[in-house]
Amino acid sequence: MEGGERAELRRLMARLAGGDRAAFEPAFALLWPQVRAFAARYVAAADAEDAAQAALLRVFSRASEYDPERDALAWALGIAAWECRTLRRKRERRREGGVPPPDRPDPGESPEEAVIARDLSAAAEAVLGTLRRIDIETITAAAAGSGLRGAMFRKRLSRALGRLRIAWRARHGGR
Amino acid sequence: MAADELDLRLQARARRAYELGRLLAALRLAPFVLAAAGAAIACGRPFPVTCALALPLLLLSVGLAYGGGPAGRAVVPGLLAGAGALAAPLLMATVGHACFGPACMSLALPACVVGGGLAGVVIARTTVRRDADLPFVLGALAVAALTGALGCTLAGAAGVLGMLAGVVVAGAPVLVATRR
Repeated sequence: MEGGERAELRRLMARLAGGDRAAFEPAFALLWPQVRAFAARYVAAADAEDAAQAALLRVFSRASEYDPERDALAWALGIAAWECRTLRRKRERRREGGVPPPDRPDPGESPEEAVIARDLSAAAEAVLGTLRRIDIETITAAAAGSGLRGAMFRKRLSRALGRLRIAWRARHGGR
Repeated sequence: MAADELDLRLQARARRAYELGRLLAALRLAPFVLAAAGAAIACGRPFPVTCALALPLLLLSVGLAYGGGPAGRAVVPGLLAGAGALAAPLLMATVGHACFGPACMSLALPACVVGGGLAGVVIARTTVRRDADLPFVLGALAVAALTGALGCTLAGAAGVLGMLAGVVVAGAPVLVATRR
């Protein structure tokens, strides 16, 4: 999304939060492609449409809580990340047999540790969703070990991690 | 089914989700209105009179907050401003002041006027701080008046009128002076 569109979305979401229904259609037109693309990246292709729709409905149901000081796209994608995660976990629970889920806990972990690890992972994913796309890509590349290893990448990673820390503190305090 | 039609159906569902979300957010104000009514009843205000004031206050608060706009943003400041006007006469009653006959009027009526004055100042200052317009002022006044009336019925119709006079007399000069 271009900077102008992003600013426009921010204005539209602020108007929606204030109860201006005329902003609904343009906000929908800007948000839906973004949420759909985001869901397609984070959920299996078969579930992407369901996840995107659930995320979009959640975003609009919480539109009156939107704080105009925040970036609307980051806020919406944070909610979308949470919805994607919830849907993925729901699907994993329903799945009988088959391939074990990728984030299956370490056999050495106690059930309590596994639950804590899962909650932490979900919280981190939700916070990650509030960052800019470039930050998400940088952190994801670093975690996968596939990023460039130049000074430029390290600088970008450092800035992205700094923003992740700030976003984490804003959402979860000092925990 | 065409993609456009799917998008339209999704848009309709999103719109319903938005409206429902607004309604639920507006309903979060209901406990404050019920608490104000509960306080009035606990301090001895008659149940039918309190209900007759609390029900319109509840509908007005939730309706304005759901609708949004300047009037919707005025609900919380209106409730806060009206809480002062509600508390003043009720405090008079709870500290042992006589609450019937001419003796009641000696303190309850001035308390209503002072409470209304405080409400007027709060509304005027909030209006100026937010650079709000007429719908905001009217919304806040209506909510504050109904909230204050829950307590000011203690001094009868004179108490309610005194409170309203206090709102106007104290609020208007503050609004005019700070707008200049």
